Amino acid sequence: MGHEQDEFADFYRASRDSCLRAVTAVVGDRGRAEEQVAEAFARAWTSWGKVRRHPAPRAWVVRTALNLGVSWWRRRSREVPLAEHDAAAVAGPGDAVDPALIAALRRLPARQREVLALRIFLDLDTETTAKVIGIAPGTVMAHLSRAVAALRRDLPIANQDTNATEVTR
Amino acid sequence: MNEHDVMYQVRESFSGLRMDTPVEQVWARSRARRRRRLTGMTAATAATAGAAAVITLAAGGPAPAPSGHSPSASPGSASPGSASPGSASPGSASPGSASPGSVRLAAFTVTNGPGDSTTLILRKDAPIDPGELRQALAQHGVPALVTVGSFCRTTPLAPVPFGQVVQPTTLADGSDAIVINGQAMPSGAELSIAVFPQTVRMVLIEKGAPLSCFSTPGQPGQPAIHITGTPTQG
Repeated sequence: MGHEQDEFADFYRASRDSCLRAVTAVVGDRGRAEEQVAEAFARAWTSWGKVRRHPAPRAWVVRTALNLGVSWWRRRSREVPLAEHDAAAVAGPGDAVDPALIAALRRLPARQREVLALRIFLDLDTETTAKVIGIAPGTVMAHLSRAVAALRRDLPIANQDTNATEVTR
Repeated sequence: MNEHDVMYQVRESFSGLRMDTPVEQVWARSRARRRRRLTGMTAATAATAGAAAVITLAAGGPAPAPSGHSPSASPGSASPGSASPGSASPGSASPGSASPGSVRLAAFTVTNGPGDSTTLILRKDAPIDPGELRQALAQHGVPALVTVGSFCRTTPLAPVPFGQVVQPTTLADGSDAIVINGQAMPSGAELSIAVFPQTVRMVLIEKGAPLSCFSTPGQPGQPAIHITGTPTQG
């Protein structure tokens, strides 16, 4: 048990940020994403014997978090104590993601967002992404291509010259 | 800008996002989940026993009393660790509304357990008599204000982490099972339970303090705030 616990702790520390980013990119709400990711990790620990053998354990966590869905989140958040310190726990310094990017991501179809998140934040290749989601590799590539094209069109940052860096002194 | 650049930009935009939850909380959540699942199973068994006790077949003899607070769970019908015999308090759904031949199930069931806690099961889509529910909870040592169609709270709220008192879960049939740790409730506090058609909302309030009541489960624009008890589970 001690070894498994250490193993899971290492996995958690190494994976939690990327999983949170992936889920936030899909659901568009940092507080909800953190709740769902924490729940998914808890389930991963419950089934650690199985998850540790999964070809992509981080993807398992992300998929589990996303599968919890909005109904779980609503059930979870409906017992509301309305205490101010809870509200403060939802967001912290450094959590800000450009609202324009979040808005652009939310305009994408859910599947495109998911493919994008798995590719970007978990560094999954096309084959693994396809297996994790349960679609064909060609479909993954099509989703990714459309998502990137939409972001390139919508996103101010994507239209900037990345070679130009402004330094304020 | 090519595909790679866009993906890089997105990745960089999220780089400041960090998950602060320590692994100990994940383990605690996992333990709580196991407990809830166990509670759900035992509570469901108790609920079945309680519900069976208030099934009313108009064709056959007198209906049981609407409040149904008399001991009803038959000994041996609950699994080990669940409600003790005689502790289940099933509440009726719309007393008197059952038509001849219809079957009426308990709108709610209050049982002892797990441990020193009390488990409240609210059946989905079953109308609840707030007085009956309040009385049933009081019999189990849980002071409560029960409202239907309005949500009442006090300011300030009772000073205790909500999650230490209330652990909700959803059973397979969609019913809400709520484990209430009455011993964690501070003196002078009671549980405000607001029942709406689509949701049940709860909050700890100070008994006797002026109430603010709302006709909706939440105010528009109000942020969804998760249960305080999440980090303290386990």
